[in-house]
Amino acid sequence: MTFDSCNPHKNAPVLKAALKSGCLWLQGHLQGYVHHRLKCHQQILSYWKDISDSSLFSMDNPGSPSLSSLCLCASVVKSGCLGLTLKAQRHGGKFSESHNSGWIFKTASSFTTAGKMALLGLFLIPGPEHILGTDELGMDIWSQICYGARMSLIIGLAVALLSGVGGGVLGLLGGYMGGNWDKLLLRAIDISMALPSFPLLIVIAAFLNPSIVNVILVLVLLSWAKPARIVRSSALAMKKQHYIVSARLNGASPAYIIRRHIMPEVLPLLFVSILNIASYAIVAESGLAFLGLGDPTSKSWGMMLHYSTSFRSIYFTPYWQWWLIPPLVALIFLLLCLAFIGRDMERVVDPRLRTGGRS
Amino acid sequence: MTKLLEIRDLSIEYERDSTSGGVSDGSSEGESAAGCRAVDRLSLSLEKGEMLAVIGESGSGKTTLALAIMGLLPENASIKGSILFQGKDLNGMQEEEIDQVRWKSISIVFQNSLEVLNPVMQVGEQISEPMIKHLGLGKYEAKKRCAELFSQVGLDPVWLDAYPHQLSGGMRQRVLIAMALSCQPEILILDEVTSALDAFTKVEIGELLLRLQKECGYSMILISHDIGFISSLSNRMMVMYAGRAMERGDTKRVIESPLHPYTRGLVNSTPGIFLYRDLWGIAGEAPAGEVQGCPFYSRCTQRKSICKSGCPDLEPVDSEREVACYLGGIVTLLFASRMNYSYRLPGGGMVDAVKDVCLDIKEGEVLAIVGQTGSGKSTLAHMLAGVMGSGVGEIYFKGNRMNGERYGSQYGGIQIVFQDPVNSTSSRLTVMDTVKEPLDINHLEGKKERIELVKEALTSVGLPSSEDFLNRFCGSLSGGQRQRVALARALIMRPKLLIADEVTSSLDVSTASNILRLLKGLQNSQGFAMIYITHDLMIALKVADRIAVMEKGRIIEIGNSHQVMLHPQEEATRKLVMAKMNGTEQIIGG
Repeated sequence: MTFDSCNPHKNAPVLKAALKSGCLWLQGHLQGYVHHRLKCHQQILSYWKDISDSSLFSMDNPGSPSLSSLCLCASVVKSGCLGLTLKAQRHGGKFSESHNSGWIFKTASSFTTAGKMALLGLFLIPGPEHILGTDELGMDIWSQICYGARMSLIIGLAVALLSGVGGGVLGLLGGYMGGNWDKLLLRAIDISMALPSFPLLIVIAAFLNPSIVNVILVLVLLSWAKPARIVRSSALAMKKQHYIVSARLNGASPAYIIRRHIMPEVLPLLFVSILNIASYAIVAESGLAFLGLGDPTSKSWGMMLHYSTSFRSIYFTPYWQWWLIPPLVALIFLLLCLAFIGRDMERVVDPRLRTGGRS
Repeated sequence: MTKLLEIRDLSIEYERDSTSGGVSDGSSEGESAAGCRAVDRLSLSLEKGEMLAVIGESGSGKTTLALAIMGLLPENASIKGSILFQGKDLNGMQEEEIDQVRWKSISIVFQNSLEVLNPVMQVGEQISEPMIKHLGLGKYEAKKRCAELFSQVGLDPVWLDAYPHQLSGGMRQRVLIAMALSCQPEILILDEVTSALDAFTKVEIGELLLRLQKECGYSMILISHDIGFISSLSNRMMVMYAGRAMERGDTKRVIESPLHPYTRGLVNSTPGIFLYRDLWGIAGEAPAGEVQGCPFYSRCTQRKSICKSGCPDLEPVDSEREVACYLGGIVTLLFASRMNYSYRLPGGGMVDAVKDVCLDIKEGEVLAIVGQTGSGKSTLAHMLAGVMGSGVGEIYFKGNRMNGERYGSQYGGIQIVFQDPVNSTSSRLTVMDTVKEPLDINHLEGKKERIELVKEALTSVGLPSSEDFLNRFCGSLSGGQRQRVALARALIMRPKLLIADEVTSSLDVSTASNILRLLKGLQNSQGFAMIYITHDLMIALKVADRIAVMEKGRIIEIGNSHQVMLHPQEEATRKLVMAKMNGTEQIIGG
């Protein structure tokens, strides 16, 4: 199947086929995910029940997208993890890399090894061989999107977890212990919140070696303050609660109080904040990559946008439809999923809603 | 003054097989253990003109003691020890010799009832009988003397010809007194003379006895369980329990500051001493049969292992008071001095919330701390509980200096219940987890025992202990229920001191009074001491033995609750009392 740039009518079935296969693939994945990982899912569900008193899903009215968002987000994760394996199989084992094993950073950052280019396959239009065609180097765009998903998720989750957990722990200690440590923490939070994050990010990224680890570290440095502040204020308020004072008078250690009383209260808040940080980190990473400050050897959605927009006169060709739009859609899609999950989480952990909704 | 009557090591035992006829009080509900000991190694002395009160619950051996002095004990009683009247032992005397003393020197007024007087004899005749026998008077003289006696006790001599059933209770009591006084005895024993009389007659009889005592100069042994009655009539009192003297001393002082927990219990159960307070009797029952150690052990609020070792004897505490307690009477549970705490103001200044406060709480006592909002009472309570940590003052708990240790982490420590019911239990824990928490934290008891203890604690605070309720989240309970759960959590640690910080102030009146009564009832039955923080003087008066009034971080007045109420020393207290009184008048007056 060839792609005719002059005749858009001819392109329609091609696009349709591409979309159809993509949808089928996605659908298959969703089904596979749901069916094959049902057990795993149930474990996750029960975990969430523990965390939020089962209100995550019981509060979830049919119109609410949180569950579906979770599934869609999971499909993105899935495509990130397995997409390349599929591609590798399609390419008849041309992919020499092993995607199931190995260090996740290594696989994410070392895309461009020999054998990934389709020979004589530059600028291929979408077809059964390449769902979204190939780019100017002949690299499969769908593969890149799958890789990009992995990249975005790794960065998003790594930053979110590191800053969420790290900031959470710092805030917890500051709030619960108080004293000079708390003062120090507050000043650090103030400074970190006052810094203009994105310009700083650009400056730091420009000076540092643009590797994925550096990007993660910079983003963590700029985003730990928010969870720290949330957790600190909540721990500070909780500390004065009479049932905690009672427990303390009964001889409970700080570890016990944090584990038994403060953690269950703080964890959902922290999770919301982690989700928000994940979105922020994904956007920031894409932004950096789009500006050309990302790791040039990595494949991310930002990088794809960067390369596609810097490809001269892309808008004069139909290539933007499968080179520029898909990474953008994927990015928006992932962020929307995260936002929906975050919003629902927020609703679940909102104490007013909780006390009102449950009796 | 000479010792008129001296009793040394008197023990009286009733043998089990025969019924204790004629003894209304002594052998109580016939615990038919091998020999019921009604009086146990009791010693006392009575001086001329002295008025000694013997008080105690039913079954404490008071009447038996009176009967022994009179030599009227039934056959099945065996007596050890000596009863010396003017140096002569009444115990060893023959019946004829006793007859010389009985009624002539020692007479008794029995508890008023129809049985005491012969129903088919005119009362005048009954009174003359001993006079004719002991004083050798003729019938006419006796009759004349009877008339005198009648006017002395405030009865019209026309009643001399009446039969007992024609007289009212008060009149009969007067007849009995006249009868006892007929031979001008040196010792008059009054056995529960007023217990069946109405308040007005009671006062009249009391005044009569006092007047007659001044006129005739006899010594009195007042046997009663009515502290209100004896307080005005006697100058010394002896508290009896299970046949033993528990405390002896000046009447006023004993009532004002009882040394023995038992005396305190009796005082607390007496209406009329504390005008506003609810009445609570001593929890538990007197021991049945032979008891190892202190007889009050099972009901005592401050029992220790030493109390089981043997029976304590009366030991002098100061020049005129004696108490039979190994611990020397009611022990000071917590003593705090130089309590200081200031809060930092946002502006940088400091505000003294508690300043130079010094107070003590005795075992089993309820101390109410009253004061306006912001007077520092809650801060003080938190300091005592250890919320502020160490360094807020010198606190001695059970005699040990508290140094930042938490006495809440062990049985018999200090527990606190807070004001806000929503805040005092975690919404995300179940009732079971909440109540069990102190045990979990301190790894006390096994898993099954913990659950049992939780159920027990819940039952004691009046909550259901069903599985369904145990698994409910505290967030789904009402304010009153949550406060009860918090109370159960405190009680599961069996505290010696419970600090209740405005526990009822955020509850509605009905729930609040239920919780209040529950709390006081638990305090009474479990015998812990309680510090009750409140801004409501009326509530304080309902529950407290003592009241401390706080203002601007200082305790400005501390004392027995009725004294603080009736005779406030400080202007602020007076205002507080007046405000309450006026409020009440307005409510009642409409």
